[in-house]
Amino acid sequence: MIAQEKKPMEEILGYLEGKQKVVVMGCGGCATFYHTGDTKAVNEMAANLTKEGKDVFKMPLPFSIQACDIEKSGVWLEKNRKELENRDALLVLSCGDGVQVVTEYMDEKMGITKSVIPANDALGLVGGGPKKFKETCQSCGMCELGKTAGICPLTSCGKGLMNGPCGGVRVDNKCEIDEKKDCAWVKIYERMEKLGELDKFISIRSPHEWSKAARPRLFEIEEPVGMDVIGAMKGMLTVKFGPKPKLDE
Amino acid sequence: MGDEIYSDLMRELKEGKYVFTGELEPEKAGDVNEPIEMAKELVGMVVACNVTDNPQSFAYVNSMAASYLIQKEAGMECVYQLRCSDRNRMALLSDVLGAGALGLKNILALAGDHVSLGDTPDAKPVFDLDSTTLIQLIRTMVDEGKDLGGKEIHNPPKLHVGGAAAPGAAHLKAEVGKVKRKINAGVEYLQTQVVYYTDVLDKFFDELGKVDVPILVGIFPARTFGQADFFDKYVAGVDVPPDYLEAMRATKAIKDKEKKKEEVDRVNIEFFTGFLEHLKGTPAAGCHMMAVGYPRIIPPLKKLME
Ligand code: SF4
Ligand code: SF4
Repeated sequence: MIAQEKKPMEEILGYLEGKQKVVVMGCGGCATFYHTGDTKAVNEMAANLTKEGKDVFKMPLPFSIQACDIEKSGVWLEKNRKELENRDALLVLSCGDGVQVVTEYMDEKMGITKSVIPANDALGLVGGGPKKFKETCQSCGMCELGKTAGICPLTSCGKGLMNGPCGGVRVDNKCEIDEKKDCAWVKIYERMEKLGELDKFISIRSPHEWSKAARPRLFEIEEPVGMDVIGAMKGMLTVKFGPKPKLDE
Repeated sequence: MGDEIYSDLMRELKEGKYVFTGELEPEKAGDVNEPIEMAKELVGMVVACNVTDNPQSFAYVNSMAASYLIQKEAGMECVYQLRCSDRNRMALLSDVLGAGALGLKNILALAGDHVSLGDTPDAKPVFDLDSTTLIQLIRTMVDEGKDLGGKEIHNPPKLHVGGAAAPGAAHLKAEVGKVKRKINAGVEYLQTQVVYYTDVLDKFFDELGKVDVPILVGIFPARTFGQADFFDKYVAGVDVPPDYLEAMRATKAIKDKEKKKEEVDRVNIEFFTGFLEHLKGTPAAGCHMMAVGYPRIIPPLKKLME
């Protein structure tokens, strides 16, 4: 999922200077998960902007309707075409991807060109939860995990070294850059040691092929996911999870 | 590994001479006058001087330009430090070619501190290569006359490549694994981060075992308490002994400039006498004296190694 946090209100107000009538659009995907674009966040943002004297139209997206999934979010945009046409700006409470997908759709499919403003800062592809998350992959396009005992050298190492550790590892094997983070290369060493693969540690890994991440990357799948899947996702919400297994079982 | 010898540093190492090197730090200035003056004082005391490349990620005069000017103006052979932090593989390759064209004879290949630690923290950190792959690149360029894509280099650069090692690393086994990897990559000599404790050094040599690559051990006789304190606080993998630090702190109170200098020298000589005595019994091929701006301490310390 794409982790994200809210931008400071002053920054958003700066972008909205001179723009009186604003649409506040939410996102039912990652932004709902991180409470940066759920219905509550849309309501709060609308209230704040109203307090600042703005004329606000709210456009939350239901759970599972992601701003970036334009086939579905586009339905909401079309439904609110009138409001979009009559407003000065659209504030999107999603990650940067959602903001741009919405912008392009409005420009090219709806013929509505408006100022589009991001309300959040995207923080990367993270895993973990329920409360703490960690960025572990930057979607580099050429996965190196097979060479590094399953720990990403590009993302988990502060310097993205293919051949670490650097000389800066701190006491308790923390990273040179931030004492709150573990040194990825010590972790790689320790996993390789447990796996009996230390010969891999001292072998030289070639420089990463950044050509595989030539941006912007374009991507196609053969069978698109249709609207029917949403019904199935709604069904999932009613699934009851059983009691958690005990650790010693 | 090629057998050619291009530099005085490599000649002395190959001859098995006990080698001393120094360190010069270009600053945030539009000239290199100060390091040139320092280098002039160091001629004859050390065989070569490292010229730092944006140390601790503070942006200073380009170290290739500084190395060239120091060699030219002071007649001091330089070890051009080259960090991966600020340049991608293309820029590194051009810099190595440039260094060869300017007559530089030694490069110390470093990953480099992260940019967030220095005075330009919002810079985009590069690290396209790491120290190991930079060493490999340089060896391929020099020995095979090829670039990364295997394309031929006309009149390849003639220089040697060294690498760093951190005996005081928090995880010694991982550090030594990395050092062995650098040896696999063809590093021609190693230079350690500053060490103050003899047992730290012994553990490092024990863990490394016998290797064919000469190792220079880094020592840092501080010219002022501030320098020693900075190392203790901010340089990763370096612990400055509290006794030494206290003795240096005490010199701050001395008003008379000459007396202060004498006392600083005395503290350093007293501390390093034991250390250098111990160093003689280790496999070290020499000593890298990181005494930045403090050339007068080098002759008495060298004397201790006789
Ligand atoms: S190497 Fe790292 S960034 Fe690249 S795909 Fe694998 S986990 Fe992701
Ligand atoms: S301390 Fe470890 S994780 Fe941090 S930059 Fe150095 S090698 Fe990478």
